[in-house]
Amino acid sequence: MVAVEIRGLEKRFGETLVLRGVDLEIPDGAFAVLVGPSGCGKSTLLRLIAGLEEATAGSIRFGGREVTTLAPRERDIAMVFQSYALYPHLSVRDNLAFGLKMRGEAKATIARRVDEVAKMLGLGELLDRKPAALSGGQRQRVAMGRAIARRPALFLFDEPLSNLDAALRAQVRVDIRRQHDRLHATSVYVTHDQVEAMTLADVMFVLNRGRVEQRGTPAEVYRRPATQFVAGFLGSPAMNFLEGVLEPGDEGLVARAVTGDDGGSLQVPLPAEGLDAPLAAGGRVTIGVRPHDVRPAAQGEAPHLTCAASLVELLGPELQIHARVGEAPITLCTPADRAIARGERLRLCVDRVHLFDPSSGVSLW
Amino acid sequence: MRQATGALPRALALALIALAALLLPSRAGAEEPVRLWHAYRGVELEVLEALAGEFAAEEGVVVDTLAVPYDAFAAKLSSAIPLGQGPDLFIDAHERLGDYRERGLVAPVGDAIEDPYAFTENARAAVRLVDADDGEALWAVPIAQKSLALYYNTDLVQGPPETLEAIADVAANLPQGTYALAYEARSAYGHAPLLTGFGGFLLADDGSFGFHGAPAVRSLELARWLASTGLVPEDADGALVTSLFSAGRAAYAISGPWLAADLEGDAGPRVPYAVAPLPKLAATGAPMRPLLTVEAVMLSPRGAARPIVRALARRLASAAAAERRQTIAHSLSARRDVPAPRGDAVLAAFAAQAELAIPMPTDPAMRATWEPAHRAIRKVLRGDATPTEATEAARRQFDDVRRPPPPATSPTPALLTLGVMLLAGALLLLRRARDPAARAALRRSLPAYAYVIHAVIAVGVLVIAPLLVGAATSLFAGRPDSGAYVGLGNFVEILSARGGPLLSSGSFYVVTLVTVLWTAVNVLLHLAIGISVGLLLARPATRLRGLYRVILILPWAVPSYVTALAWRGMFHRQFGAVTGLIEACNELLGTSIEPIAWFARFSTAFTANVATNVWLGFPFMMVVTMGALTSIPRDVLEAAEVDGAGRFARLRHVTLPMIRPSLVPAITLGAIWTFNMFNVVFLVSGGEPDGSTDILVSEAYRWAFTRGSQYGYAAAYAVLIFLLLSGVTRLTGFGRGEGGR
Repeated sequence: MVAVEIRGLEKRFGETLVLRGVDLEIPDGAFAVLVGPSGCGKSTLLRLIAGLEEATAGSIRFGGREVTTLAPRERDIAMVFQSYALYPHLSVRDNLAFGLKMRGEAKATIARRVDEVAKMLGLGELLDRKPAALSGGQRQRVAMGRAIARRPALFLFDEPLSNLDAALRAQVRVDIRRQHDRLHATSVYVTHDQVEAMTLADVMFVLNRGRVEQRGTPAEVYRRPATQFVAGFLGSPAMNFLEGVLEPGDEGLVARAVTGDDGGSLQVPLPAEGLDAPLAAGGRVTIGVRPHDVRPAAQGEAPHLTCAASLVELLGPELQIHARVGEAPITLCTPADRAIARGERLRLCVDRVHLFDPSSGVSLW
Repeated sequence: MRQATGALPRALALALIALAALLLPSRAGAEEPVRLWHAYRGVELEVLEALAGEFAAEEGVVVDTLAVPYDAFAAKLSSAIPLGQGPDLFIDAHERLGDYRERGLVAPVGDAIEDPYAFTENARAAVRLVDADDGEALWAVPIAQKSLALYYNTDLVQGPPETLEAIADVAANLPQGTYALAYEARSAYGHAPLLTGFGGFLLADDGSFGFHGAPAVRSLELARWLASTGLVPEDADGALVTSLFSAGRAAYAISGPWLAADLEGDAGPRVPYAVAPLPKLAATGAPMRPLLTVEAVMLSPRGAARPIVRALARRLASAAAAERRQTIAHSLSARRDVPAPRGDAVLAAFAAQAELAIPMPTDPAMRATWEPAHRAIRKVLRGDATPTEATEAARRQFDDVRRPPPPATSPTPALLTLGVMLLAGALLLLRRARDPAARAALRRSLPAYAYVIHAVIAVGVLVIAPLLVGAATSLFAGRPDSGAYVGLGNFVEILSARGGPLLSSGSFYVVTLVTVLWTAVNVLLHLAIGISVGLLLARPATRLRGLYRVILILPWAVPSYVTALAWRGMFHRQFGAVTGLIEACNELLGTSIEPIAWFARFSTAFTANVATNVWLGFPFMMVVTMGALTSIPRDVLEAAEVDGAGRFARLRHVTLPMIRPSLVPAITLGAIWTFNMFNVVFLVSGGEPDGSTDILVSEAYRWAFTRGSQYGYAAAYAVLIFLLLSGVTRLTGFGRGEGGR
């Protein structure tokens, strides 16, 4: 088990700078998730950690040991690939044993570890099959098993669930977390799926355009997104963004969405304290509202948000409402216990708004 | 579908009508055209075309001339004439007459020769064949004659030597690197003048082997002396004689009229030369007498019956025609009444030589003398055997080749078995046909049959029929003199090594062993080199790999016989590139490596063959490897890297096992190709030394084409090769679908 420390890591492919100075530290035994949209550099970062690519600049340290220029096999890592990358010509047993054999472990040790892992992952029945004769989920487990059998200091996962169907994905996700809780091995997990990121991570790194945009626990990142990008990337449905201005209100500032006359308005009073930056009336802001942060206004309560539902979808426990505030389309979620008809005029209170600087995207509150 | 099946006969009928329409008008002509085959090119062809054209115009008949490659002449004649398709008359070398007569391809010329005494004595003798009841007839009309004669470089020597041995006196005055004499020492044709100088001959009058006994031994001793004293170059063939003499590196050369043609440059001859008849031998005082080939017009039995054809033959052999050939094409007349043109000293010398030459025997047994004689000569020149041993071995080989065919047996048992099998098959089909379920199934699949029928016909005609004909041929004696059914007699002879020791040189078992060794060594090297190069070229880091790829595929793109001939030249003991390298190495590094006589020993000859074939064959494995490598996902290799496998371990445990499925069929194919790689073996080592590097196919070829046309015997070899290969591929599992994943 090691801690991972990365400083000023850069990676250039020809003219393209894929990673532009990444700093991150993963505590010993933590499950770290690198998340971000495609092309953000998260897979490249993982391959650099694995040693499959060479860094252009910067350093990688495993528990104080400098590994930046070491070959993968000298780093004591194991990796689960998106395609699983099982050896098609070897049986499951030999796939599991491969890494141990390459490291020259004794035969008895190999047999014991393979049995252990097979039992742990329920692969006992499959040991003599070739990968071609396995289902997707089984292959995934073999790939996991191959990594676990090695008992490496660091586990690397490169989108290991993306080739599974939705039901299996949820189940394997839980399995992966359980394995980690049992082994407590430091893990780095790359995904573009925010649900995986939120559910698996002890510490989460949101990457955007080759930089770490925000780090923290999933709850922190979700509640206090540092930038408009992070706020928009995490959460489903995504956060609604509306152009707005700050105006003086009864008890301080009010954020009001700039709308035309054609119905719908948003006007939220801001608390006097707890702001990230000093705000002044007249400033332009981007107002962010998470779809789940709204509730119907109580009798006599002044609504923050009014709009007309243009489309209502029932998703079991909740309703997903599509509407417009001015030109901007918004999506809102409310409990399904109160039916809402299409075209109905909604009067809603907003429990939490986020404010972002419209030019830099940095969070203001 | 009913429509489609109905359309087929209609289309067939239309095609037949169209064919008939094309053929009928040509049948309606007054006189059938006269068909003339020849192997002429260049000036000789022009003269022939002119003569034929004039004849056609005067007689009002169409003369179709067709150039047929010399090597294919006999095969084309024997397949065309019996079907009434061949030429009415053809021009060929007289020594094939005996063979042609045996196969019924020629007929006596009758009045095509009006006055036999118009031709030289030798030419007359050449075309005169004695038949079974001692009657004599002329079987061809002589038109030209060719033999070896002595060329000499007038810059280097004054004139012809008194005797052959006297060239040693000349040698001392020659510049460094110049040979006294160049002659085709490695061939029996080139050696024949020495033999005749001692009173010997290749074939006795009774058809037995002549190249043994005192004259043969003495002639070989003389040849060995010439080579060992450095008077003549080693291991010389016709091309070397030509190149040495035309480069001024040989004072004398023994060669035919073709050398004069080769010496002709754009502005006069490339070296100043003159020609004289061959000298005497000091040992016997008798002249060296070369073998004479008479070019003659031969008449097919059908052509001989047509007066117009005989008239054309007369015209082609007339004095006027001979004169034109002499003045325009420089080909020596076979007529007494047409002397060499005044001022053409070369032709005059050849004419004088022709008087002294010995017409090549027409006996079909003559063809069987060459190979044993070649081997004996080469063995003696290499010093592997004494002349006596070598000639005795040659006689045994000749007798082996000329042994009587296996006794004819009754084909009844075989026919009976075949009949019973056919009957059983028919009954089985009948039973199937009565089964309603099978009939329904058949009816359902009729459309499918319609789709594959053309492929079935093509495969049947192009693959299966030749295979069956070949297999059937192996059951017959298949010789020009006997086509009797011999059952498994050929196989018995092959498998019993024709009564000799089973492991004697040239026996089926030894040749099979050599073939297996040849295949194994080649395939292993193909694999090792092909995979290594394929791996190197597949590395993205390799610079210019597109260029390397093209360069490395080139050996594959060059026709294999071209490669084989080039490599054969490189391995020449005295003039090859390999020897050049050794000499350069000796000069630069001060080493003293002896040039290697590559074809003198089995090991080196075999190595030379293998080197050539490896060069030819590795690109195939390389291409297969490169293709297979692209199918290995990158992340599997990366997984292995992360799992701790180094470069070599990745190759051994991941890359090689993963390309194996693609390599297995390639190895099977490569093994079959190598097993049957005729070109390299035949052209590089040619079986040397003493047939030891021959593989099964080249051995089969020799039986069919250089040992008196024993087609049945050769076909039996082919059947055995087929059985061996199909057995082995079956055993190794290829074709049962295990080649794949």
